Amino acid sequence: MVYIKGTGMSKFDVSQDWSYERIYDCVNEALDSGNVSLEDIDAVFISSSEAESNGERQKHTAPMISSMLKKKIPMLTVPAGCCGGGAALWDAVSFQKVNNARNVLVIGFEKLVANISEKATDEMLRGGERIYEQAEGLIFPAQNALVAQQYMMKYDATSDDLALVALKNHENAFDNPKARFYKKKITLEMIKKSPVVASPLRLFDCSIPCNGAAAAIISKDKTDIEIAGSALSTSKLSSFERENITSWNSTINAAKTAYEQAGITAKNIDIAEVHDAFTPVELISYEDLGFCCKGEGARLIREGTVNINGAFPTNTSGGLKAKGHPISATGVSQIYELVLQLRNQAGKRQVDNIEYALAHNIGGAGCVTTVHILRKSQ
Amino acid sequence: MIIRWVSEDGKRKWIYPIKRDIYTKGKIVKQVSKKAKVIGITKVNIPSPMHPIIPYYVLLLEDEHSNRIPKKTMREYKIGEDYEISLATTDGAVIITKIKYDVYEYLKESIELLHNYGISPEDKILIKPSIIEPAYQYQSVTTNPELLDALITYLKEKGIKDIVVAEQAMLGNDTMASAKKAGILDVCKKHEISFIDLAKSEYIEKTYDNFNFRIAREILERKVINLPVMKTNSQIVISGAMENMLRIVDEETQKKMFKNDIEKTLPKLIKVVPEFLSIGDATIGLQAQGPTLLGEPAFLNMLFLSKDPVALDAVFTEASMLKKPHYLKIADVLGVGNCDTEKIEVIGDELEAIKCPLKAAENNASAHTNMKLIDGKANPYIFNIALKMTAKLVGLLGEEVNLVIGSFITKEMLQKKSRLVAYGKDAIEQMEKLGVKAIAEIPEEMGDIEKVILLKSILQNPNKENITVADNLKSKIIGLGMKVRKKF
Amino acid sequence: MHYIKGVGMTRFGVHVKTTQELCYDAIMEALDDADMPLSEIDEIIIAKGDSANDGERQRLFQGVMSSILQDENIPIIRVTAACSGGGAALWNIINSQAKNSLVVGVDKLTSAPTKYVTDNLMMASERIYEQAEGLSFPVQNALIAQQYMIMSGATIKDFALVALKNHENAFDNPKARFYKKKITLEMIKKSPVVASPLRLFDCSISVDGAAAAIISKDKTDIEIAGSSLYVDRLPAFESEDMTSWQGTILAVKSAYNQAGITPKDVDFVELHDAFTPVELMAYEDLGFAKKGGGKKLIRNGITKINGTLPVNASGGLKAKGHPVSATGVSQIYEIVKQMRGQAEKRQLDKTRVGLVHNVGGVGSTVTVHILRHIGG
Repeated sequence: MVYIKGTGMSKFDVSQDWSYERIYDCVNEALDSGNVSLEDIDAVFISSSEAESNGERQKHTAPMISSMLKKKIPMLTVPAGCCGGGAALWDAVSFQKVNNARNVLVIGFEKLVANISEKATDEMLRGGERIYEQAEGLIFPAQNALVAQQYMMKYDATSDDLALVALKNHENAFDNPKARFYKKKITLEMIKKSPVVASPLRLFDCSIPCNGAAAAIISKDKTDIEIAGSALSTSKLSSFERENITSWNSTINAAKTAYEQAGITAKNIDIAEVHDAFTPVELISYEDLGFCCKGEGARLIREGTVNINGAFPTNTSGGLKAKGHPISATGVSQIYELVLQLRNQAGKRQVDNIEYALAHNIGGAGCVTTVHILRKSQ
Repeated sequence: MIIRWVSEDGKRKWIYPIKRDIYTKGKIVKQVSKKAKVIGITKVNIPSPMHPIIPYYVLLLEDEHSNRIPKKTMREYKIGEDYEISLATTDGAVIITKIKYDVYEYLKESIELLHNYGISPEDKILIKPSIIEPAYQYQSVTTNPELLDALITYLKEKGIKDIVVAEQAMLGNDTMASAKKAGILDVCKKHEISFIDLAKSEYIEKTYDNFNFRIAREILERKVINLPVMKTNSQIVISGAMENMLRIVDEETQKKMFKNDIEKTLPKLIKVVPEFLSIGDATIGLQAQGPTLLGEPAFLNMLFLSKDPVALDAVFTEASMLKKPHYLKIADVLGVGNCDTEKIEVIGDELEAIKCPLKAAENNASAHTNMKLIDGKANPYIFNIALKMTAKLVGLLGEEVNLVIGSFITKEMLQKKSRLVAYGKDAIEQMEKLGVKAIAEIPEEMGDIEKVILLKSILQNPNKENITVADNLKSKIIGLGMKVRKKF
Repeated sequence: MHYIKGVGMTRFGVHVKTTQELCYDAIMEALDDADMPLSEIDEIIIAKGDSANDGERQRLFQGVMSSILQDENIPIIRVTAACSGGGAALWNIINSQAKNSLVVGVDKLTSAPTKYVTDNLMMASERIYEQAEGLSFPVQNALIAQQYMIMSGATIKDFALVALKNHENAFDNPKARFYKKKITLEMIKKSPVVASPLRLFDCSISVDGAAAAIISKDKTDIEIAGSSLYVDRLPAFESEDMTSWQGTILAVKSAYNQAGITPKDVDFVELHDAFTPVELMAYEDLGFAKKGGGKKLIRNGITKINGTLPVNASGGLKAKGHPVSATGVSQIYEIVKQMRGQAEKRQLDKTRVGLVHNVGGVGSTVTVHILRHIGG
């Protein structure tokens, strides 16, 4: 059994604090919230994309954390693009189970915004296949734009549905003090009028790069929150290479394994943090995670089922779209939100009667996916 | 200087500035030491992109608390030798400092190395940062608010009570909006200091060599600390200590200075301003297509200080391996300062040790890939609006357009260039003088939206040879319509 | 308990093939060696660095592996730990729940101009204190070497002997960069100074290569008796004693405990000689010599291939080559080949207990693995 003791998160913004500052603060918060002392941490799993253009140029992140936390213990860096946070958590859970370590710290951090935006775009471009995608100008928005287009051609979904997804997430982020768009009112008008980035995706269909860090402490000691399922699945790099462009096997497989581990089905999930790097991905993920049938994703958003006051709220934190997306920190920040919800500490965003929560994290365009299921301990 | 952040019980020492101990939640003590011994030295023969000049040495220094730090130098020290940074002995010295995370401590150390620079509690200080346009701190186009914060903190610790921050944005930009976005207003608010918009000041006239400068009153009445951002500049190689002083004069004077060749008039302006201290902000620094948002951050983590702005600019240019700007040579001849780096006293890090090539600004790039700028040292107003026009048309494909601005256009600059559009009185006049035909002339008085629509029509229509009255009328109408529909 | 089924390795040198193709070759060799199909693998861990300038710019490498292995069922993750990537990946596998797993280490360093490689390796050091002061990787190690010389009385001649030994070993290793290349003491001593006191031949060589190993919970002839990973401070000058790496001491202590042995029981070693002085320091930190006594072992020939404790029979990082993340796994390759009597001209007699030592940065991440030949 693996439990969650505490979580911490820095504000997701474009402040130019050094990464070590942000990590130090969110680890402090995680230790406080879990009532754990640094002496009791046995191992650390870290995720960071090791960006080169952010002025920090740090490619050996584990020792930097050792210098910061003054600990000489096992530490490992597990980068996985946007899925980094989830992958580090998955690896940490696996480690904890095998090793019977008492407390394991998971940290995801990223400083992406520190240079001209072309550099950030380039960092993300390197997540695509070199010869087939990078060479053909398939920057990250473009990859997802093609997927969105195929989806909209195949099923009953339009750009208006995508705008509704963005609106929902922005409304949620309005009440999230850690979010990039905290207290920033975004209207449907603004979303629909935003400039086209890679048709059919507009600016407000794309999640925003940010700087941020998040941490979580998992433990073998029993607490109120249990990690009932933890799964990771990999798929081929380019979406065009897979059989089905509009359905991502890595999500389907990871979800299946996680549901099996937890002994439940998609119906039992009460709240979910879904990876909305781009608004169409949220709709596709609803289907792949089993929340609705293939092609029905748009229905959930149109009927308001996934709104915060709906039957099945998703992305109450604001999601990647409105909370912000500091690549490797995202996965762990999803856990942060779900822990707040399970502990009734989500303030204005609080959803009632939650037993099972799901965190879904994707790397690349469906290249690697993790699914974690949390539940209130028996 | 070696600094460590130490836990209260002395057991844990951090090399990073942290505010509280993650173990005990207790306070942190700063352990600062200015003296060290050399306990190791290596001579390095392999270059790397950040350190291209070889050979260089790296020392291993240790202080009295057994704290160590590596340091790059060009001098061959011996193991056991003392390492200490000497104080400056001349007024024109340039202090070069590499900041090790703590901006405040390294700023303090640098100021205290200056020769003959005293400040007393009765001084009335004016800090002049560089805020040319609305940009975020990390874009490094404006002075780093962290540096401003550290400077104000230092001055207050010295007992100074009367401090103001004053600046004027590049002509055509809103000063207050720029100061807000850059984070400068927040720093002022935190320290309860007023921010003065120099564009609204009262001006006092001063003359040098028959040239009249109308200078903001506050500059002449207070002790000035110049806080420029060190950037490349597509017109005069760099925007450094001297260029930042341009915006202490009013709009008319600025335009006049550029009309009469800014490289000649800028040194004259410095001549009539009382002596000031320059602290060059290279905490990030800008390279490539500076000095506006078209440039790229350079991540230098350095400070350059001097009472001689010419020396500061000369040292920065050489450290960045850029060609020496013409205005420095003129300033030297005029006796404004010293531009010969062989004769400048450099304190702190050595000039050779910090040399690292920065990407130079080309003088023909604009925001749009199909539009080139032919810039004859246009004044900031024209330059600014020209760049804004090209920025508005990004996303539209077209045939190459050459936008001609400024009065110092030569025939060589226009050779083999087609589809010339002259913008601004100076450019229109100069092209007439040269007898070169432009396909369009955009006067300054034309409405902003109209200008862009006209330019757009030229860009997208490859066969357009000249602009007719009908075109002008058309763009006027469309512009009006857009204003009504608030589409732009 | 984990066991090693099979190992595979490409030649270490300059390759034209892409990184995924190198992986493919190493994996095929490992699967053949283990006599096992890919479908029986439950998890794959790849150690690989990544750079904007290496021409391949492939960040989500796990997806590339999924493409080239044509498989979407096996979870694949990537770990990075600078030069200790291989050892870290192996440690991670041993601490995972998978029954059969595949560890792959790969890197290409020769596809970009030297200055970019130097720059990329430099990013494993501290930004403000080290990178800004010109501390590229050889420079960091040069300062440490100097402190070591002052402390122990070791000389640059001792360093040269280390390089000579490793080159002599690599001469007979078909996978090594310096295979069949005769290097003399003269050449080593006369090589140009890179960062004093280190000469060119004191520094390991950057090459391309991949290595793979198949680990299983099913019993085989080679057991992994000990596996540990420890992370220490980032810059070397932060340690109280720069001549001894806490990371190594902690890791090896834990590994000896797990295996129930002492340094005396170790028959042969593959250790991390990124720079020749580091090998001497490792002799001490791993418990084979007293503090300052490293030089005795090399001077008396104890660590030569015909000595009582052969070190780096493969040629080590110095002469076999050092494709950053692949190194750790290639060390396992050598140990396994020796234990199974497949090391040809390099074959040692006593190969019951082998120790593998893989380091990232300047003793920042250290992994130690102890392998035991249990017959069969």
